[in-house]
Amino acid sequence: MTSMSGRDFFTRRYEQLGWRFKNVEPRQAIRINSAKGEKAGTVQRLAQRGVELEKIPFLEDGYWVMASRFSVGATSEYLVGLYSIQEAAAQIPATLFEDLKDTIALDACAAPGGKTVQLADLMQNAGAIIALDVDKRRLTVLSNQLERCHVRNTIVYCRDAREASKLRVKFDRILLDVPCSGNFAIDKAWFSRRTLRDVQENARAQREILAEAAQALRDDGEIVYSTCSLEPEEDELNVDWAIRNLGLKTVSIECHGEKALSNVLDRQLDPTVENARRIWPEQTQGFFVCKLTKQGQPS
Amino acid sequence: MRPITDFMNSIHAQIQLDEALLVKKKDRYYLLNDKLKKLVSRDFFHAGTYLGKTKDGTFFPSFALLTQIAEGKANKVMVGDRAEWLFICGRDIFARGITEVIGSGRKGGYTLVMNKHGECLGFGRIAGNLQAKSNVVAVKNISDVGDFLRRERRRA
Repeated sequence: MTSMSGRDFFTRRYEQLGWRFKNVEPRQAIRINSAKGEKAGTVQRLAQRGVELEKIPFLEDGYWVMASRFSVGATSEYLVGLYSIQEAAAQIPATLFEDLKDTIALDACAAPGGKTVQLADLMQNAGAIIALDVDKRRLTVLSNQLERCHVRNTIVYCRDAREASKLRVKFDRILLDVPCSGNFAIDKAWFSRRTLRDVQENARAQREILAEAAQALRDDGEIVYSTCSLEPEEDELNVDWAIRNLGLKTVSIECHGEKALSNVLDRQLDPTVENARRIWPEQTQGFFVCKLTKQGQPS
Repeated sequence: MRPITDFMNSIHAQIQLDEALLVKKKDRYYLLNDKLKKLVSRDFFHAGTYLGKTKDGTFFPSFALLTQIAEGKANKVMVGDRAEWLFICGRDIFARGITEVIGSGRKGGYTLVMNKHGECLGFGRIAGNLQAKSNVVAVKNISDVGDFLRRERRRA
């Protein structure tokens, strides 16, 4: 029987998906909290401290940390909330929503809070975010992030994303940065830790979260679904499943990454799955992102 | 509300908090906005702006509350770069590190500590002459934003 794990198994799959494996080292990135300070001023202050930044071309508020003599997580600019340390690809999902201001948004798998803070920033601290996570320790980290970045519009609950509809709130925007298998670029032991079975189990849980989100979404609302997994079960196949089973449809997005696959390992998917973006690891980690709305809504 | 107003009085702060939007959960205080008030249910973990907590009868303000206070009138000392760095590392402030004093400098009172950019770094108790320009401790550190890092380290 062929092993469904290990470096050879997974890298062979990536090749079948159209990407040749290479070892990568994603760069450290920060995101300027524009609600808290003036962007150019923050960049300048960091430059004066000897932190060399380079604008990330595909992000409005993102910068690569090219060089720094000390941890960028220990400056007074960081501690007063002028910026957050946030991986570049992970900065993409929150930027894909339309008109966030004054909406009611759900961040269904919120801890440790980087994207929650980003959402609050994009919402200019108005409207409301409900942030859920099941891990109390991680919720404490999330709370600290909200305090550090002066977020005022968020309610946090210790609750599973699969219970979102019990909140009895219909959401305008839902961010589903779902728990996933991760990828080798951010986890050096990834190939020895992960099996296809793990991937399939995660994919099942992700479908349950997607189904719950579809229930909690307003008719004219938007879902952004993302993972940092390269495995199609957690990415294209789940989106295809959501189109076929949840009355959702994909929406075309303009962002970093390549068109997602509509033919996966000889399986033909709904052609609109291509509207999603697949990001193979290079300067960023591996990532997948897709925007969904309810079928029958204008694109 | 009382512990918060007592603290604000002790630092000569003049901000208004809408009591109708204030919620207390266990020993912690939060300030909501109108939209959050309609949405929140009792079992929240965190809601709106965390204002601080009481422990053994003492109120410990959050950095969010200190920042809000700093936007208005209150006792403040502005400090230079070196004093800023030492303060966020948990150290006290020497009088020579202070570049400006706003409000009361009465010994035993409380004061916010601000950097040259007008950002609130925490607060402390006035322990000596703020204008002395000497190597004498002028403000005893009670709470500083470096605590965000210390919390992370404690968690690790």
